[in-house]
Amino acid sequence: MKEEDTKKSLDKRMTLREAISKYVFDGCSIAFSGMGGEQVVAPTYEIVRQGQKNLTLMGDSPCEVGDYLVGTGQIRRVEVAWLAFAVAGVSPNYRRAVEEGLPHKIEVREFSNYTMGLRFLAGAMGLPFMVTRSLAGTSLEKYNDMIKVIEDPYGGKKVALVPAAKPDVAIIHANRADILGNTQFIGFSSNGENIARAAARTIVTCEKIVSTDEIKKAPTLTSVPQYAVDAVVEVPFGSHPWNMPYAYAYDLPFHMKMMAGIDTADGFKRWMDEWAFGCKDHEEYCEKVGWARLKKLAQIERKFCKSKL
Amino acid sequence: MSTTEKKYAEDYTLQELLVAAAAREIKDREVVFVGVGIPCLGALVAKLTHAPDVILAVESGCIGPSPYRLMLGIGDNACVENAICITSLWRAFSDQQRGYFDIGMLGGAQVDKYGNLNSTVIFGGGSYEKPKTRLPGSGGANDIAISAKRTLIMMNQQKRRFLEKVDYITSPGYLDGPGCREKYGYPGGGPAVIISNMAIFRFDEKTKEAYLDSVHPGVTAEAVRKEVSWDLQVSPDLKTTPPPTNEEANIIRTLDSQKVYTGGGLKNLTFENYIKMLNSSHEKIKVMFE
Repeated sequence: MKEEDTKKSLDKRMTLREAISKYVFDGCSIAFSGMGGEQVVAPTYEIVRQGQKNLTLMGDSPCEVGDYLVGTGQIRRVEVAWLAFAVAGVSPNYRRAVEEGLPHKIEVREFSNYTMGLRFLAGAMGLPFMVTRSLAGTSLEKYNDMIKVIEDPYGGKKVALVPAAKPDVAIIHANRADILGNTQFIGFSSNGENIARAAARTIVTCEKIVSTDEIKKAPTLTSVPQYAVDAVVEVPFGSHPWNMPYAYAYDLPFHMKMMAGIDTADGFKRWMDEWAFGCKDHEEYCEKVGWARLKKLAQIERKFCKSKL
Repeated sequence: MSTTEKKYAEDYTLQELLVAAAAREIKDREVVFVGVGIPCLGALVAKLTHAPDVILAVESGCIGPSPYRLMLGIGDNACVENAICITSLWRAFSDQQRGYFDIGMLGGAQVDKYGNLNSTVIFGGGSYEKPKTRLPGSGGANDIAISAKRTLIMMNQQKRRFLEKVDYITSPGYLDGPGCREKYGYPGGGPAVIISNMAIFRFDEKTKEAYLDSVHPGVTAEAVRKEVSWDLQVSPDLKTTPPPTNEEANIIRTLDSQKVYTGGGLKNLTFENYIKMLNSSHEKIKVMFE
């Protein structure tokens, strides 16, 4: 189906398996929303299950999406600002790939969080590049041929240029969306609004599908309007073990267990066998984590941040 | 609180001293771009003591939160709690580039005498493409180093980390010395301070080199010099870093009751204790903000 056709569909609902198999293909470039939370975890496990290869990851600060897909050998190239697990630790698979070439070498092009954000903004604006004060004079510029430093043509000092990022596929995880694809973050949107617009195909996964009337009650929250969206999938707890604002708290103890699990290449394989291949879908993953535990994380979050919606 | 009334804690830990030292770098009403860990705790301690109107900002796009729990990351739900503005990443960073953010907080694996930081790769005899140690990378650090009005750097004091030149400049300090930041038109003023586990360094206005300004209690200037690779200058007015006050220590222990940042609590954190921590911090920290 042509791009226009799916973006104009009036009911974009599908399963996660359908969405990933329809839009994520071997050799594609792919980008995900999230920043230090709101990570796109459930779709990552589904991409591991389906095994698409030779991916180029475009991202600001990916966690599971970077570490796991590098560890499984599905990523060929990363264009990122950072790759790790923040408070939980560093990325063992990124380290193994760069330091030891395991499971295979990857190409790395490094930017900063802001300038990856600007790359998606350029993509979302239909422009070839964006200009920034960041990067010039540092090693990022020196080791990355995608960054150009020029004299400000209006008579100022040096400025850096970064090229538009236009991924083949974007996967955005938000709080809620309607079946048309109108997508709302109740908390922060990180680079999601621009990643969604910059991509050729955009899959929105959300904690809850709501009615369009519900969306219209708070239209200022709509970060991505329906015309930029190809698929909508309801994926409750789709960021677990990460936090989702107004939905559930960070499962830090689970993350520590995961970090200990994936510390070695063998351990990582076992973790994938258990949590990706050992679960046929995200629902089975949730069952395995335990619904009681997930509900506890949701319940505790309401104590701190209760949505008025 | 006047200086004479300050009661210093006696049973404080090194981490608590570092948090207090970071807190004291922050002035009231400043906008602070915070990262994860001890600097972030420092910003919260500042907000709960001498700087009630400080505005915290994080990379995910949350501005001005007053969280009733420890912030476990720059996109933790704590970052949206009682915030004044929740926006997107590029917008928060654009506000910084525009000049609205007073202080940014940085760390790294290596620092040099001009405050240039490396959090990308340790060559270790190898190269950028094939390094000994691959680190996470810039994240927002390059942007913060260039555009925040001033930066605070937190580092572990080791000779192999305090270098004449870093392997890779992730976050620029003064690059090769005076005039370099101006050449590239960086909006921000550069590093103001390095806080290590042994000492506090500041930067000479003329040479832009880091010098020793203060040693932590029990540490000598000579011991610090041994853990620095360049010919470190020592301030003629060398100070001793004040320990945390009782008030600061109590706040730190309430904010980080399970010692996630100020001890070894992270590795042994059970789900039950974690939920307990969240429950109790809601009660105890809420009161502190009221």
